[in-house]
Amino acid sequence: MTKTNTVSMASAPFGRRAFLKGAASTCLFAATMPLGSRIWAQSGQTLRLSAYADIDALDPAFYQNGYNVDVMNCIYTKLIRYKAGREWDWELESAEEIEQVDDTHIRFKLKQGLQFSGDYGEITAEDVKFSFERAILHDSPVKSDWGPLDHVEVTGRYEGVIVLKEPFQPLWTIALPYGTGHIVSKKAVLDATDDGGNFGMTPPVFSGAYVLAEWKSNQYVRLTRNPAWTGPAPGFDEIRILPMDDTKTAERAYEAGDLDFTQITLSSLAQYRQDPPANTTIEEYPSLYYVWLGMNLDNPALGDKNLRQAIQYAINVKQVVDAAYFGEAEPATGLIAPGLPGHRDHSAIPVEGDLDKAREFLQAAGGPPSQPLTIDTLNASEWTTMAQIIQAQLAKVGIPTQINVQDSGSFWTLGMESEGDRWKNMQLVLNRFSMLPDPYYATSWFVSEQVGIWNWERFSSPEFDKLHQKALSEIDPDERAAIYRQMQDIMEQSGAYRFLTHEGSPVMYRDSLEPALRPDGRPLLPRFSGSV
Amino acid sequence: MIYYATQRFLLSVLIVIVAISLLTLMLHVVPGDPATMILGPRATPELIEQTRVAMGLDQPLPVQIVKFFGRILHGDLGTDVFTGRAVSDIVFEQLPYTLVLIAVSILWSSVLGIVLGCYSALRAGTWLDTLSGILSVGTISIPAFVMALYAVLIFAVSLGWLPAIGAGEGFFDSAMHLILPAFAIGISWVGYIARMVRASMLEVMGAPHVRMARSFGLTEARIVRAYILRIAVQPAVTLLGTGVAHLFSAAVFVEVIFARPGIGALIVSSVNERNYPIILGAVLVTTAIIVLATLLSDLTVALLDPRQREAL
Repeated sequence: MTKTNTVSMASAPFGRRAFLKGAASTCLFAATMPLGSRIWAQSGQTLRLSAYADIDALDPAFYQNGYNVDVMNCIYTKLIRYKAGREWDWELESAEEIEQVDDTHIRFKLKQGLQFSGDYGEITAEDVKFSFERAILHDSPVKSDWGPLDHVEVTGRYEGVIVLKEPFQPLWTIALPYGTGHIVSKKAVLDATDDGGNFGMTPPVFSGAYVLAEWKSNQYVRLTRNPAWTGPAPGFDEIRILPMDDTKTAERAYEAGDLDFTQITLSSLAQYRQDPPANTTIEEYPSLYYVWLGMNLDNPALGDKNLRQAIQYAINVKQVVDAAYFGEAEPATGLIAPGLPGHRDHSAIPVEGDLDKAREFLQAAGGPPSQPLTIDTLNASEWTTMAQIIQAQLAKVGIPTQINVQDSGSFWTLGMESEGDRWKNMQLVLNRFSMLPDPYYATSWFVSEQVGIWNWERFSSPEFDKLHQKALSEIDPDERAAIYRQMQDIMEQSGAYRFLTHEGSPVMYRDSLEPALRPDGRPLLPRFSGSV
Repeated sequence: MIYYATQRFLLSVLIVIVAISLLTLMLHVVPGDPATMILGPRATPELIEQTRVAMGLDQPLPVQIVKFFGRILHGDLGTDVFTGRAVSDIVFEQLPYTLVLIAVSILWSSVLGIVLGCYSALRAGTWLDTLSGILSVGTISIPAFVMALYAVLIFAVSLGWLPAIGAGEGFFDSAMHLILPAFAIGISWVGYIARMVRASMLEVMGAPHVRMARSFGLTEARIVRAYILRIAVQPAVTLLGTGVAHLFSAAVFVEVIFARPGIGALIVSSVNERNYPIILGAVLVTTAIIVLATLLSDLTVALLDPRQREAL
């Protein structure tokens, strides 16, 4: 057909019929070509993946969230990094050696020959000192990652000692291998900012396997190989991260061939497991997030512990989680997810609840409250489903409730005293916090000094606070884990918490890809290999 | 005409001022502190307070509104505290994507809608008219986001003809990325415009000036083009002017579904983050565009219809 038209076009005058025929065949040809795939195919060895949010901070000392850190992992190096795999552990990255000399001193030695991009030369211990101390010097919102960091002592061109004011175990699990542990060039940052403060979205220098080649807000982040990088060559010439705040959109983009790796929703997991897209591997990872129903201890309606315990026992966590997450998430036993020190095998209150016990507690409380209790929740489908199931379960024992659905801006300031008196009226609240791989990160929100800030239950226990401090400096891992288990027992016994789930983090990717993932399914992008 | 245009322009400025003032009031009524949202959970109270001061949120509300308009007069929409970038940069970076999407959607749906409406009116009562009516009402009743989802599933996921996400790079790639979103937004407008043009044409076709034109022996094609369509298309033009606001709303869903950059998606994420400077900057720009579109449609109608022009 194409040939006939070509001949007629060449030999005959360009008439209306000829034009229509030609246009029709061109359209037909174009329509039968997989254009979407053809457009992307030009990208060659480019890894394409989605991220839940666009980047908004690329200064490691001022990082805001994990999506920024995913990019930082590519463009900066750090002394140690998380190991890829199913178990939480770390390994050396730019450090040749690192050791805990005593409770408050960590000695490190950098690999020689590691280069910054541009004309900023070799990475030295002076750069490490500058990178670590600036979060505290400039009062970064994430300076708490460094805990009691006092200073970094430079003992040689490549050697130094991290000096703490007191022991701090999360240094090994959060500070060094995560956001604030990334190394920037002292000279480059001072050139760019004068005072060494936040350089925001314009990194003056790169020290990782990739450089930030292009960032188009709300479109993509494009990372290309760093020519100055002397470490192991990364698996892809280019990485393109596309922000998509709707994971379902990412799923469709993957199916259409526009992505090579993506997270998937728990609601889609069963369907993908049964009928996966072509040449696709689906893997499930446990998430570190924790979801719970909290109760405001300072609200008069919840002042009676018997009523709170009646609520705890009336909730069948398994039912709640199955309904909201389509049977793809497991009930939680506490704040700390499986795989982290301090995870509890069982909660004190059975996950199925106990209606008889709930009724006993309710009777001891003098019967159900006269007015319906409020359940505040975010306007996301999983949350509202959980709230509805909890509402039905509480109704079974005679506790009336009313659900208040709120948008994220309104919800996330609900229990804050700085936001007026809304916290006083808050009663039951469905909540979900993100988590880093150290139990201290979970318990730190529930200490007394967080009451009215992020401790919305207004739970205050001197014993809990004491244990929190003790665990930070406890070096024996077994003893530390036991402390965190005890802390979760105390929380549960207060009657202010019903732990629900840690959700889940399923991913899918092309069979030919070899992703490097953290135990919670988060990508470690510079270590992805294979082909796409 | 000049007096009319000036009057409408001043009214448009007033509308923008009222809209922005109302929006500022609403933003302060809803709970949610922007400084807390920006800095994240680990910020100290001192840092939160510093950020509130830097954003001008410690000032009384009327002062904030006056300062905002004062800055606008100097061409400054403020600074995004999240990224430290100028709000005008962020807004005008996203705006072209939405404008192109809306313009292409309007263009193709208007052309098709007018042709379909004309054809239906000229063949009124035939089975083709009935079919056109069914199709028109059918497309009107399907929401843009449903159309967008199915368009992706059919043309991107199942057939693999078109890209599913993003805005593309370069002319050809961008055009390919525009097809599905513009289809999803524009399809319901085909129905609206077709029904409106058909009804309007049927009314005009019986008007005395059309009968007069026929009695002069003008060809049917010329009568339709010069004497019927010119008047019959006016309600559709008015509809399009006011419809730009609806198209902006539809663009929000479509931008999310196709993971496209755009001002709709920007406003939604900014509202969730309580990012006041961007909300105000983006809404100011979109309000101005909507008001301008309405103004232009009114002026176009005045230009098309001598009776309206004379009445000004």
